[in-house]
Amino acid sequence: MIAYILRRLVSISVTFFIVSVLVFLMMHAIPGGPFDAQDMPLSEAVRDKLMARLGLDKPLHVQYLSYMAGVLQGDWGVPYQSPGETVIELLARAWPPSLILGGLGVLIGVPLGILLGMAAALKRNTWIDYLASAIATLGLTVPVFVISMLLILVFAVWLNWLPASGWGEPKRWILPIIAYAAIPLATYARYTRSAMLDSLNKPFVTVLRAKGLSERRIIFQHVLRNSAIPMVTVFLPMFIGTATGSIFVEAMFRVPGLGSYFVSSITTRDYPLEMALILMITLMFSGAYLISDILYAWLNPRIRIGGRE
Amino acid sequence: MKLVDISDLNVSFSQHEGVVQAVRGVSLHLNEGESLGIVGESGSGKSVTCMAVLRLLREPPARITARRLDLEGTDVLTASPATLSALRGRVAAMIFQDPMTAFDPVFTIGHQIIETIRVHRRTGKAAARAEAGELLRMVEIKNATDVLAYYPHQLSGGMLQRAMIAMALSCRPRILIADEPTTALDVTIQAQILQLIKRLQAEMGMGLIMVTHDLGVVAETVDRVVVMYGGKVMEQGPVQEIFDDAKHPYTRALLGSMPGQTVGRQRLTEIKGASPNPVYPPTGCPFHPRCPEVEPRCARSMPEFSDLGADRQAACWRLQ
Ligand SMILES: Nc1ncnc2c1ncn2[C@@H]1O[C@H](COP(=O)(O)OP(=O)(O)OP(=O)(O)O)[C@@H](O)[C@H]1O
Ligand SMILES: [Mg+2]
Repeated sequence: MIAYILRRLVSISVTFFIVSVLVFLMMHAIPGGPFDAQDMPLSEAVRDKLMARLGLDKPLHVQYLSYMAGVLQGDWGVPYQSPGETVIELLARAWPPSLILGGLGVLIGVPLGILLGMAAALKRNTWIDYLASAIATLGLTVPVFVISMLLILVFAVWLNWLPASGWGEPKRWILPIIAYAAIPLATYARYTRSAMLDSLNKPFVTVLRAKGLSERRIIFQHVLRNSAIPMVTVFLPMFIGTATGSIFVEAMFRVPGLGSYFVSSITTRDYPLEMALILMITLMFSGAYLISDILYAWLNPRIRIGGRE
Repeated sequence: MKLVDISDLNVSFSQHEGVVQAVRGVSLHLNEGESLGIVGESGSGKSVTCMAVLRLLREPPARITARRLDLEGTDVLTASPATLSALRGRVAAMIFQDPMTAFDPVFTIGHQIIETIRVHRRTGKAAARAEAGELLRMVEIKNATDVLAYYPHQLSGGMLQRAMIAMALSCRPRILIADEPTTALDVTIQAQILQLIKRLQAEMGMGLIMVTHDLGVVAETVDRVVVMYGGKVMEQGPVQEIFDDAKHPYTRALLGSMPGQTVGRQRLTEIKGASPNPVYPPTGCPFHPRCPEVEPRCARSMPEFSDLGADRQAACWRLQ
């Protein structure tokens, strides 16, 4: 197991390196630069001077090496679109809203989805099952900005219960959290339903019944435990994906989060921020998948303890 | 009191293609300490009958009706879920065909045996664990203490079948139902497992229902046989009488198809024709389309049982 984890860590480092090179190359291969603004064109000379000051006039490999040297020392540079702060300061400011709203969305959506999926599996082919399946389908097919719009329309405009936008007092968090929760809830409802039906149809369930275990005990101690194995493995990647913010949700609710920077850093050729965001996401997803795989092996005795005697 | 008493049991499954009539009017019983074989080709309703006795079928799609369906005097058709749970494993235990899929893969063998003990009896964890070890030794597992800590995937089919037997017997049931307990195992292991079941049945004084489509198994292990075909009982009686003097053409055909066995001068033959369609079963006697001795009245209605001696019956027009 230790050897496996070490091997995975090495492969994550390699991935990190390859992604950094590829992204760096692609970023610079896209035509245009950070000072090509249409509305306020700069003179050629001014632009060259700015470019030189940022080191953008140097050959690419030199730029890459000096960037990576900085990164390894914890210096991620200064975002061009917000030169008053470092990249790290920008992340520290913009990430918490996304982390809190997206994270809470997942933490609320996943348990609800599990409950819904369990109800659907246990009451298969009843109205509960059909309702759960309808909710799950809506959650996965209706785009999140439409859901956000509906939420604003119903709860902010018509009912006037909640503020339509923002960040700040927790009352303002409710609608964006619901919007963030939709996809995790729907995904987990579907996952749980199919994983539970799968386990419920296993022959060992009949054996458990024949031993005299109550239906409740069979479901909570055996079926859920077996179904959990595929379910835990999607959790962390989903958490990372959601807790880094959605440009749609954050735009709809005017949340000053991270979501919009994923797009703006690319459109404005904000190289340091773009690199930082992509490398961070790469690292976090690699870590999430590593932890998921370890969990999977740990929960599954067939992997944790191999071999028939 | 009869351990198992079934009268006019009907089990059907509603499916898209129609209603599968798996068991149609089966009556049978199991006496105290007796071993009963249920034989018949694949699809004749053997497993469904056993599952119905413990109410292990999912209802719906299954629908069970019976004039009587009693386990040691308790009517299981009207029993509450709590009563059923108390009966299962304690009054009647069941072992299944495929030991490889019979255990929950995420728990150890020990956990699953201890769980069975503690569901039915107030026993401390340590005491239950010691008992589980004893049970494994009883089914001739040598490194019993190690095996308690093994997960199912670490054991061979034969070992798992032994462990399943140990688990089934952990609460000293009055009745053991064994549904083809050796079919999934290596030939060399099959005889050992049968011997084991026979020995434990005698030692514990249980009633045994042994389901099989192998008449060799029947000859070796049981006192009495029920022959099923197309969801119905064709013939039943003491095993020796059935082997020596089968009254029903289907029983004779079954005996004739037994490998290594010649009945009279009859050669080894496969029974010609296909098993009946359970959704549209043949009218009359289900065996009539394949019966070498068929008569016109066989297709019209099912004959009543003819009593042919103590505990000996067959349903064939030729015996009327
Ligand atoms: N859950 C179910 N749903 C629908 N049909 C079923 C179900 N279980 C059994 N059947 C049908 O009922 C009939 C009897 O099945 P059963 O399993 O009792 O046969 P069997 O005599 O045990 O055969 P085998 O020797 O193959 O185990 C078969 O036609 C089978 O397809
Ligand atoms: Mg069967």
